[in-house]
Amino acid sequence: MKERILQTSRELRAYALQKGYEISLFYHEEDSYLMRFANSAISLNTNEHLIRLEVQAYSGKKRASYELITDLDHIDEIKQAIDTTAELVQHAQPLNYQPTIPQYSASFEDESSYDPTLAQMSNDEKLQFFNAAVAGLETEEIKLSGIFSCGENIVAMINTRSEHTQFFRTSDAQITTVLAHSQLKWEVSAEQSAQRKSDLNAAALHDDLAFLLARYQQDTPRQIPLGSYDIVFGSAAIAGMLRFMNWIGFNGGAMKRGYSCLSEEKTGQKVLSEKFSLVDDPSRRETFPFKKDYMGIERNPFPIIKDGVFQGFTWYQDDADEFGAQPTGHTVSHNSLVLQSGEQKVASLQELAAMPRQKDVLYIPFLHYMNIVNPSKGVFTGSSRFGALLLKKDGSVEIPYNVRLTQSLLDIFGEKVAWLSQTSEAYNTSASYGARNPSAVITPLFMQVNDLEISHSNASY
Amino acid sequence: MQQEIKKQIERIHALGATYVDARWYPFEETNELFMVNGNLKNTSFSRESGVGVRVLYKGAWGFSASSDLGNLAALFDRALDNARAAAERVTFPIRLAEKDAIQAQFTSPNQINPFEVPLADKVAFLKAMDDQLNQPGVFQRFSGLDFTRKQIVFMDSEGSQIEKLITEVFARLEVSGLDDQGQMHDRAFRLNQNGASSRGWESIDLGLFSQNAERIVEELRQTLVAEPCPKDDRSVILLPGIMYLQTHETIGHPLELDRILGYELAFAGGSFVRLEDFGKLRYGSEKLTARADATLPNSPGSFGYDDDGVICQNNLLIDKGILVGAITGRQMVEEANAKARRQIFDGSGGTNRATAFYRVPIERMTNINIDPGQDGNLEDIIQNTERGIVLDGDRSWSIGSNREQFHFATEMGWLVEDGRRTRVVKNPTYKGDTLKFWNSLSAVGDSSTWEVVFVPNCGKGQPNQIMQLGHGVPVCRFDNVRIGE
Ligand SMILES: [Zn+2]
Repeated sequence: MKERILQTSRELRAYALQKGYEISLFYHEEDSYLMRFANSAISLNTNEHLIRLEVQAYSGKKRASYELITDLDHIDEIKQAIDTTAELVQHAQPLNYQPTIPQYSASFEDESSYDPTLAQMSNDEKLQFFNAAVAGLETEEIKLSGIFSCGENIVAMINTRSEHTQFFRTSDAQITTVLAHSQLKWEVSAEQSAQRKSDLNAAALHDDLAFLLARYQQDTPRQIPLGSYDIVFGSAAIAGMLRFMNWIGFNGGAMKRGYSCLSEEKTGQKVLSEKFSLVDDPSRRETFPFKKDYMGIERNPFPIIKDGVFQGFTWYQDDADEFGAQPTGHTVSHNSLVLQSGEQKVASLQELAAMPRQKDVLYIPFLHYMNIVNPSKGVFTGSSRFGALLLKKDGSVEIPYNVRLTQSLLDIFGEKVAWLSQTSEAYNTSASYGARNPSAVITPLFMQVNDLEISHSNASY
Repeated sequence: MQQEIKKQIERIHALGATYVDARWYPFEETNELFMVNGNLKNTSFSRESGVGVRVLYKGAWGFSASSDLGNLAALFDRALDNARAAAERVTFPIRLAEKDAIQAQFTSPNQINPFEVPLADKVAFLKAMDDQLNQPGVFQRFSGLDFTRKQIVFMDSEGSQIEKLITEVFARLEVSGLDDQGQMHDRAFRLNQNGASSRGWESIDLGLFSQNAERIVEELRQTLVAEPCPKDDRSVILLPGIMYLQTHETIGHPLELDRILGYELAFAGGSFVRLEDFGKLRYGSEKLTARADATLPNSPGSFGYDDDGVICQNNLLIDKGILVGAITGRQMVEEANAKARRQIFDGSGGTNRATAFYRVPIERMTNINIDPGQDGNLEDIIQNTERGIVLDGDRSWSIGSNREQFHFATEMGWLVEDGRRTRVVKNPTYKGDTLKFWNSLSAVGDSSTWEVVFVPNCGKGQPNQIMQLGHGVPVCRFDNVRIGE
């Protein structure tokens, strides 16, 4: 398959050269499987095998693109798309800067994150895995929801500037299990991310679900008073906040457009907690990494925050071209964020609940529907979901209705950080919008932040 | 092609499937252009075609899609295999509400096909807008055009065959500026239904856009020098530019029947609404009448027939404050009636739609509208407000997982004191609990305030699906709402 893709790419390049076009080709192929569960049944079982090809044409400072869903057999259709794009670019308007056209100095292939046994798991295997993850936990009232999404993702690229190609193939799985009470409307969840089949662990999902379920079945949820809380965030919540911080904090283009809570003057300054160190680390296979970016720049571990000190912005090539910055190898569909773990020895939810504490601690595993309220100040809002707990100082556990946080990320990751756990995990952040693009963030399992205000406390679900 | 699809539908039906349908997209094309600060950053086109097949077997769905039409039999077999696998775990065997077998065609209102307009004309429009937005106080300027055209042929094992040709046009202008503390503020204008009866290229009216470009620049400038929004409890007067989103997030989504029945619990979330609430729940004040109206002549939420092959309808959701209906398709109404042990729904509401040939249809909003009221025009409502704030333009939105509470930030806020607008404030926000908020609805503007706002990007489902729809909404006032938090 790989040879056929690369051979076709080279043929298309030859076609473009012969016509005198300046183009780049971006090939994306996915073989996606999704088993969706709801009301303890399989509500949908679907698969998609799609090939998307994007042609980008350049002419001086002008560019235009054309994307089609196609097949390698449809070579005439693709050639026609190349002709169309080359024609379109003539009618585009020149940019006021020179866009960089990718040029690869050598061919590059990376299939190290590909495990066919994961990508092609059978319907039976997926169902067995799910059944094991929730064995004995469903009842008349407690219903299972979730997804088992797995697949294979191929990205290949070539351009008219050189004969070299880039080829990436990954396998991934994203598993979400939710147990929800059909009358009381509470819901608890456990998730898993896998890059190879051996990452899958149904028993771990079962342990987390069983622990949360026991708490939720024993206690009656209640509305907690507004005010200030010491909050332990779970990996899903941390990953969600990191993704937002990455968008409105560390992106050079967003900063230049005024959509950032950090400025160029902050480079080299302490902006977050000294306990906070964040690296874009493409050597971590669990993040489905790109070891070269789409421009052919080699991607090495790139420190963004070190001991709270801001190391510098990341740049997409186009933003770097527009604003005269040095590209940093971040022209990729996702980077490989790794938040360094901390000192706190806590490796599971059970251990967290058993930790001695001086005051009540609110545990928020997941933040639902996050959005940016004020990018300049880093303020976001979002609500707790999927199994929040109020860990009382006497060691008991209560169930709070969901609460809303409206806070600055600069505060949450700033001086209020109390500790980060020693144990980390890869949290799957893939969205299923458009083309498959598996991504994950490596984050400590837990992070405690003291003295955070909750802005809304639900009186029910 | 139709003959071949029909043959496959019959073959799979004969193999034991209780229902089979196929959506063949001979083509779907898109064209997106946007200009940022004078740079034509994006000039992109796309084209795709393919077939999506849905099979119901022993009470379970299987779906499969492909752009390769060369081996239809294999595609239909895969959908059946997927359904067979799903049938291993069934708790409520799916059945579909009755419908008529329909032979029909639908074309969305469109005079000038935007795909026949030269690229140079589109670029010239963006350039003209960009030039006009390029004024003191404006730090970033954005103008964008988005076109889609698709042909869909729907066929099912119950004898329906429906052909649709749908053209969509979306357009947006946006400016942002930095205040003296370096904080960013923005203001946008979006093409909505401004009384026009069609939305081809003819709806890109230079005069209309030009007028609104001036307005948003002026309003941005006022925000840049404004005081911060106070933290307070006040009446909020929502203009259509935020009223549409309030309606979308706290009436539209919570009334999707699949959400109510728990089908989105793993992702988008549930709903605070329960089956026993239909016919009883006081959702809002008596001034609130809401409907799902897919029969509006010109809106992305009007599409002739849904992807179950059911004709578009105009159904009440909330009647004078009481919950009476939901956003429904064939599968969910049967399940809801059975689980409620009463007939809540008389058949499908015709709202099942898929974003592309390769995705499965699910309940989607059509045009979720609020009926105009008797409380006069915007000025009348302001005059009758003692302490309030007029809000417009969506900036940020976040809603609880059962849609029970929300937090919105808007682009504009004008304080109202003793019946008049006094001053603009910056960073306005408001929040509330859904039912308490709708029950505090104290004024509904007349038809002079009613506008259909187009939504190009509602997201739902796994795999995720983006859908286009509309909201016809008047100006509305809600009392005692927390702002500035
Ligand atoms: Zn939506």
